[in-house]
Amino acid sequence: MSDPSLFDAVREEIAYAYENTVFFRKHMEDNGLRPQDIRTAEDFRRIPPTSKGHYRRGFPAAVLAKGYTLTSPNVMRFQSSGTSGERLNSAIMSYDLARRQATGFGVHRGFDGLWQPGSRPRLCRFAPPNCSDVECATGFSTMEDRILPDGTLVLTVAHDLLATPEWQIVKALDEIEDYRPDLLVVDPTHFAFLTRWARRLGRKISSPRKLHLVSGYTLFTRVARRQIEEFMGPELPIGDMIGMSELGYLGFECHRRRRHVNTKDFYLEFVRDGRPVEPGERGELFVTTIDDALIPRIRYATGDWFTPLGEPCPCGSELPVVRIEGRGTHMVRLPDGRTVTPGAVDALVGDAPWLDLYKLEQDRSGDCAFRYVPGDTARPQDAAALEARLMEALAPARVRLEAVTYISCERSGKFQPCVSHLSAEGAR
Amino acid sequence: MTVRHPCRSDFPALLREFDGQTISYLDNAATTLKPRPVIQAVTEYYETNGANIHRGKHRLSEEASDAYEAARVVIARHLGAAANEVVLVRNTTEALNLVAAGLDLPPDAYVVGCLDAHHSQMLPWRRAGRLEMARVDAHGRIDREHFRALLRGRPRVVALTHCSNVTGVVHPVAELVAEVRAACDAVIVLDAAQSLPHRRVDVQELDVDFMAFSMHKMLGPTGVGVLFGRSAQLARLRPLSVGGGMVDWVDLDGSVDRRIPYTFEAGTPAIASIIGSAAAVRYLEAQDTPQQHQHAEELCAALVGGAVTRPGVRLIGPPDTTDRIALASLRLDDRIPTGEVARLLSDSYGCMVRSGHMCAQPLVSGTAGGEVLRVSAYLYNDVAEIEGFYQALDELLSWIAPVAATGEKLS
Repeated sequence: MSDPSLFDAVREEIAYAYENTVFFRKHMEDNGLRPQDIRTAEDFRRIPPTSKGHYRRGFPAAVLAKGYTLTSPNVMRFQSSGTSGERLNSAIMSYDLARRQATGFGVHRGFDGLWQPGSRPRLCRFAPPNCSDVECATGFSTMEDRILPDGTLVLTVAHDLLATPEWQIVKALDEIEDYRPDLLVVDPTHFAFLTRWARRLGRKISSPRKLHLVSGYTLFTRVARRQIEEFMGPELPIGDMIGMSELGYLGFECHRRRRHVNTKDFYLEFVRDGRPVEPGERGELFVTTIDDALIPRIRYATGDWFTPLGEPCPCGSELPVVRIEGRGTHMVRLPDGRTVTPGAVDALVGDAPWLDLYKLEQDRSGDCAFRYVPGDTARPQDAAALEARLMEALAPARVRLEAVTYISCERSGKFQPCVSHLSAEGAR
Repeated sequence: MTVRHPCRSDFPALLREFDGQTISYLDNAATTLKPRPVIQAVTEYYETNGANIHRGKHRLSEEASDAYEAARVVIARHLGAAANEVVLVRNTTEALNLVAAGLDLPPDAYVVGCLDAHHSQMLPWRRAGRLEMARVDAHGRIDREHFRALLRGRPRVVALTHCSNVTGVVHPVAELVAEVRAACDAVIVLDAAQSLPHRRVDVQELDVDFMAFSMHKMLGPTGVGVLFGRSAQLARLRPLSVGGGMVDWVDLDGSVDRRIPYTFEAGTPAIASIIGSAAAVRYLEAQDTPQQHQHAEELCAALVGGAVTRPGVRLIGPPDTTDRIALASLRLDDRIPTGEVARLLSDSYGCMVRSGHMCAQPLVSGTAGGEVLRVSAYLYNDVAEIEGFYQALDELLSWIAPVAATGEKLS
């Protein structure tokens, strides 16, 4: 997937990680490997993938490179709830984060004006509580308390999205108004919820500055996107970030609405059953960092699945185009052995103007429940048509549709539109 | 090879591994793990019975009622109390609220407490009356002079804490009770949630009117609190909840409450957990040996010794092992985020400890100045685990705050 010319940088990263981190040296030695054994991409695949568990357990002593501590200059520490409870403690160099972000934004012309010489964008974050490095969920803190060292304002968010009290919503809307951001970094489901409330309260979400929106943390559903676009208007540049807390921007959406992966700052592989996949096939993303002096990661298995499309993008970017499939542990497993990804489920649902929010949940028996919060314009035939599509796509698994007024979030505050207890259990 | 405590194998949760790493469970002041006999007792009730207690005439109900009441007897015997002096509620907090609300105190009733009280032995009294708290010294020992001075105001209630969940100090309750009795006729209410898991209390000897504790802190299931009350004192309490199970007769004009303790047990209780509580008491009593007491002292010494000799940490509590349980609250350098350290101790080293204000915020804010890291050991822990915890803390501090870790001792 990545440019073969990048492989020299990969070999340097391997040598650096081997020389400077306790974990990776042991990982190589346990598998009878030395850096000089890795000469080709085929050799490279002899290195068993590394995992979140390795980095969680080894942090910081075994995974930070020699010469660094958690208080070294430019080191940003964070704790992440992770997806589906895969929590993580990690750190990243602020300039690596910025470099990867710049590569990501580089594919979207709507973000060209965001960074101006001599100034940095004012950034507001509206995302699930445990993704934030501050105690924002309780709402007792002031705006000043929630401004991170890099200037990001973290807005208060409730753990249970649909149970968010009105005062907390008003507070978030007030603070966006007061802070006058250039950039909103949001969880799409949470922000769509905020737009629904803003509409109900007769409020606007705007800034005297040119506003941009980055969606991240969870799958950007078409339903959420429709609501955000309708409310915010066509002038707002929107980009869907492919990212992980521990790595930053792994990719970004271009202005032609296609997702590009960052093969400039990372060496990326899409792997299935230990082999790289062909274009059009889905595979799990393995990441190798390039020039990460703090925590070099080699063949880091992300648990996120993509389909590399292997085709050029009309936007002009040379970064490869992929389709997001979702977490491996969220895939719906059918009795005949097929799997249906969260991305595929979202394509089936579409932008569905008749519903506000949905969640497909597969239980341990394999049955699926599709719960949705109907919008004002819902008609019986809308649900019936969707039910028919879902039944066809998920057969022979049973599917039940249910209109509800409430759907819970994960304890982390993240709202996943598609989960499978069957897949999650199989992964344990 | 490290020799582990023989009872560890009774605790299946200790077999868990995270990322291939075993765990050291050192958050016992919050709750303890459960031994197999307790788990089996709970499971057995659900597997073989599952019926509701009391008021049922069928066989399963009678069997369940017998097991439930037998558990009450086991708990009562453990305390030296009569069975009708044991009220089974949800937790210590509910037990203390039951007393505070049930005494029907006038709004300005004078209540004496202690600064190191858990919020559950503080807030109910603030709501019920006018609470004054006895000070503690720099090591968390109660200021006896101040306590005596407060008693001179002739309180209606004295709310004592047997053992602080922050400092681990075990207060001289027998002496304090004697002072109260000599000074006034206050009702004495003792929070024994942290002490009873570590040492038995005979309520016949200890002249308190009420005593509250939770089974989950002494190997039992969650959802069971116990209120001991002398029968005459219980008889004067107004029930906190009314409804099914606490009345003998209801007609259109009124109702007749059941006798104590049932009048305080409205609704269906946590039957399985209460049956499991009896198994916990039996297990604890089997562990009540001189060897185990010696083991507890060694754990305490390791905790205190590790803290007082270590740069970069400040022990909140006495720097010795006299009259304290195996618990140490540590204040780290102000620049180090305590919560993050607790999280890294867990995820990177397998050490489960607690961080925060420990539901005793006035004390923690006053003596530590901010959040603390609390390490609390119990009978299945080993000294090696405590040593391992301190090694992990040292290593972590060297990464997160190199100056504090290698610098001078914090005062």
